[in-house]
Amino acid sequence: MAGLPFLRGIRCGSVALILCGLLAGTPARSESVLTVGMTAGDIPATTGNPDQGFEGFRFVGYNLYDGLALWDLSRSDAPSDIKPGLATAWHVDANDHHRWIFDLRQGVTWHDGCPFTADDVLWNFARVTDPKAPQYYTVQMALSRTYVANFASVEKIDDHTVAITTKAVESLFPYSMSYFLMISRCRAEALKYDWAAYAAHPSGTGPYRFDRMVAHERLEFIPNKDYWDPKRVAKHDRLVLLPMPEAATRAAALLTGQVNFIEAPAPDTIPRLRSAGMQIITNKYPHNWPYILNFVRGPMTDIRVRRAANYALNRSEFVEMLGGLAIEEYATMPPGTPYYGNPVRYEYNPDKARALLKEAGCLPCKIVFAISTSGSGQMQPLPMNELAKAQLEEVGFQVELKVMDWNSLIEIGRSGVAKYPEIDGYNGSRALLDPVSALIKPVWKAHWSPAGSNWGHFYDPEIEDLVNQILAEFDDQKRLAMLTRLHELENDRALMVWVVHDLNPRALSPKLSGFVQAQNWFQDLTPIVVQP
Amino acid sequence: MITYILRRFLYAIPIAFGVSVVCFSLVYLAPGDPLQTILPSDASADTIAMVKAAYGFDQPLPIQFLKWLGRVLTGNFGESIATRRPVILEVTGALRNTGTLALFAVPISFTAGYAMGALAGCFPGRIIDRVVTGTAVIGVSLPNYWFGIVLVIIFAVQEMMLPATGMGANGSTAFSLFSLADLRFLVLPVVTLSMIPIGIIARSTRAAVAEVLNQDFVTTLRAKGLGEIAVIRHVLKNSLPQVLAVMGLQFGYLMGGSILVETVFTWPGSGFLLSKAIINRDVPVLQGTILFLALIFVATNLLVDLLQSMIDPRIRRS
Amino acid sequence: MAQTSVLTAAPPPAEYEEQAAPALRVRGYWASVGYRLGHDPMTVVFGIVVLAIVFSAVFAPVLAPYDPYRESIIGRLKPFGWRGHMLGTDELGRDLLSRLLYGGRISLLMGVVPVLIATVIGGSLGVIGGFAGKRVNTIIMRTMDVFYAFPSVLLAVAISGAMGGGIGNGMLALSLVFIPAMCRIAETATAQVKNLDFVEAARATGAGTFTILRFHILGNVLGPVFIYASSLVSVGILLASGLSFLGLGVRPPVADWGLMLSTLRQSIYVNPVICALPGAAIFVTSICFNLVSDGIRSAMDVRL
Repeated sequence: MAGLPFLRGIRCGSVALILCGLLAGTPARSESVLTVGMTAGDIPATTGNPDQGFEGFRFVGYNLYDGLALWDLSRSDAPSDIKPGLATAWHVDANDHHRWIFDLRQGVTWHDGCPFTADDVLWNFARVTDPKAPQYYTVQMALSRTYVANFASVEKIDDHTVAITTKAVESLFPYSMSYFLMISRCRAEALKYDWAAYAAHPSGTGPYRFDRMVAHERLEFIPNKDYWDPKRVAKHDRLVLLPMPEAATRAAALLTGQVNFIEAPAPDTIPRLRSAGMQIITNKYPHNWPYILNFVRGPMTDIRVRRAANYALNRSEFVEMLGGLAIEEYATMPPGTPYYGNPVRYEYNPDKARALLKEAGCLPCKIVFAISTSGSGQMQPLPMNELAKAQLEEVGFQVELKVMDWNSLIEIGRSGVAKYPEIDGYNGSRALLDPVSALIKPVWKAHWSPAGSNWGHFYDPEIEDLVNQILAEFDDQKRLAMLTRLHELENDRALMVWVVHDLNPRALSPKLSGFVQAQNWFQDLTPIVVQP
Repeated sequence: MITYILRRFLYAIPIAFGVSVVCFSLVYLAPGDPLQTILPSDASADTIAMVKAAYGFDQPLPIQFLKWLGRVLTGNFGESIATRRPVILEVTGALRNTGTLALFAVPISFTAGYAMGALAGCFPGRIIDRVVTGTAVIGVSLPNYWFGIVLVIIFAVQEMMLPATGMGANGSTAFSLFSLADLRFLVLPVVTLSMIPIGIIARSTRAAVAEVLNQDFVTTLRAKGLGEIAVIRHVLKNSLPQVLAVMGLQFGYLMGGSILVETVFTWPGSGFLLSKAIINRDVPVLQGTILFLALIFVATNLLVDLLQSMIDPRIRRS
Repeated sequence: MAQTSVLTAAPPPAEYEEQAAPALRVRGYWASVGYRLGHDPMTVVFGIVVLAIVFSAVFAPVLAPYDPYRESIIGRLKPFGWRGHMLGTDELGRDLLSRLLYGGRISLLMGVVPVLIATVIGGSLGVIGGFAGKRVNTIIMRTMDVFYAFPSVLLAVAISGAMGGGIGNGMLALSLVFIPAMCRIAETATAQVKNLDFVEAARATGAGTFTILRFHILGNVLGPVFIYASSLVSVGILLASGLSFLGLGVRPPVADWGLMLSTLRQSIYVNPVICALPGAAIFVTSICFNLVSDGIRSAMDVRL
């Protein structure tokens, strides 16, 4: 029949087409790509200080930008502290403890080629503190405000030195400077301060340059070959960041090879990931998963009730539920921290808890906890809170869980007890990177919400006094002893209900090597090598 | 005819206005501050007040609505609180991605559903009818997002045949309909999304065809001596208006109701944008998305109305 | 019941039964519907299943072997039959069978209550709209059109999401989604009957509006409304579970099928069958309601 060769031709042609398509499906480029599945719900902001919590810093902030100080992320076997960043050294002015002299690093260039100078530093501070400056940007002000809270003014001493004056004497001030990121004045001016345009063309001094962004979907960086720290030039050709807030999606994406690095895999997916050959990496880090309490009204104002809650928790069950991906938490800092000291250990003791509640006259003890469904550092909030509820109710508490999304919980955290007096505790994870965030902010009167993060309006005269001493003490050794004492005091007062410390689990494809997991919320991705 | 078209068009305008009022008021039903996406958890009260004033949230509601409406009519939906990009860019980008899904889901589900339903309607009570009805009922009773999850587990994770998530190997802006690598990302979401429309269209078509077959004019046609195929053609033509109405509704569902499927597959479409806007309380994006989707639905219904009256002039709404 | 219409004062002779007043036909009609339902095997079988599901949901506290909130960390995600747990345990060690039974309560509640509310409110609005003058009709129907302009999933998610989720808000959202449709059905049915001769006649004999509505309109409206309502229940169950899946429905630790689907999702690698169960529950319930509603429609629709 005449039609046959024609049909055969079509068949052959379609097979060829399909083959071409399949081959076209394999990536043409031979560059090594590190593709990360983040827990963030969206791409973090690129206009300077990032949003999406500390994950924004981890993947965008510290990759595009640097601060005057940076965190040392090179070791996994010791706690992480700050090191020189865009400033090579700093010291406080001996005559005026409000004044800090920062020596700026020389020979640094921005991604756009302009040199980094002292004027850039002044310009950046004005960007978030001076409403009259043309570069002032409300969004960045809001995101940076808490880190420049103690900033009063900055002056240029010479092209490579600046002096920053603080409002109150704060011996731990340099830590704040690690969280404030510097952006390029050249680029911002060239774009006439159009921040939407800048977000699509950011320029910093960091180890990665911006390459491409698809809003809500992916952010692509390429290495900055001229980075000022040659040890931190990226060892892969491209970094791709994908927001994946669902743990199940992250696991599926890693298993299918769509990504090769995921954050916080759900504990139940780990055996499957391991059996597929993935590397599961954990390390302790300064992270807290507590209930932050109400000291104005309610049962938690009584120290016996707070201690009872701490004795009621069987933390080993939490660790088991999380597949071993957590450490039992009996105080604010994880053991091994320089200022850990010798705090009280609230070991699981339900009888003692019951006795304390009876003594306090709170039986049944009705409490309301506000919790979230997910969030940066929140781990697996729903099952964990249900377990806590069950354990607390064993000893005589009656727990009501108010569940909401992460942003609503942050709103409660920000507004404080005055606006939400009916909440006895809220379950917000905390970053304990520097002593101020870790120990001082939750107890200091100056930080009473909504002015700061002392949510429950905690006040204790002995502790307040100690805090003021710490901030005025510039001798490292003496200050360390005081910080240790502060840690022990907070623990004794049962400041929070402590549950577990996260172990920061990550899952990496077997093709990745060279990653060092620091004991920090932030991580250095530059040493990672991706095998084809 | 022209006057009818014009009248239907004019009639759609107050509907659109009502839709915009509903959209606008929806987002203010909620407690919670829309600024929390940009403010860190320990921002102080005067920071909040400062930022609120900068964004204009401190004016009374009716004024906000009128201002919003005025801007909307000029095509300006404002900026997303979260990303500072113009809302219209976000929404049109997302709609394009949902549209890509619909581009495949619509022809597949409509033709499959119609064919199945017509077959079943022509042979009521026989095996083919039972099979089709059974499949259709399964299609509408299955929670489609769950079905999607199961498909991901089987075809993506177990068999590694298809990708589990996302739109395209290089993101949605690089998505090309001519690249097989990108098309692979479409397969599972389209299958999942088509389930319900196939079921509903099959059932409606079956009912419509069976009903028309029972009408007197069919007996007349047969008595006239017309061949079975010609009779079927008349039957299909007469049953079309009812089916068109259902198809219009399903198209609206595909465009506006895809939120569950898009969540499972992380497909960056309008449903996904909507769920993110709800979580973040990103008010401008929320309003813009809902308004756009509802207006598309209104336009679809208008189109279906007009098509119906063109096919069957007896159907004219007052 | 007392007949006030002159037309139906005396029982008519048997051979005229077909021409009797509509009120009488309604009685005979319902009896024949019941007959047809009882003799359709599909409807009977699935009707029994529906009743079983409802029964198990209502009597869940009695039937459930374990406390649905009791957790056991060592007994997480165990397979069928482990230590007396017939259907295994969930990600917190709670008995899955008990959670499915209790979850049925929420799912049925969220499926049925909005439909009931929508039937009453939407039906009344539709009857009023169909029966009253043009102005009232326009106001009611155009308002309904505005809500009808939203795809149902979108509207449910938008309302529920805007109000912050939760069972109450979810039921409210679903009711608002269903009311326009019910209103339209009722209005169409009412409008069809309103202009028929027997209504004219009834009015001519002095019957009041309420009487006309009660005896003549309602009978004709109830049929389509009931059919549509029965088909909406399964839609309600699916929509409600979708809302819970998105986190907009019940709050944990309350048992609910949609929420269970979401929380069990990441445990799918440990025990896949367990994770399929809530989905199966939704599917079975939904399909049974669908088939029963189909059967009702066939029984009530004289033509087909």
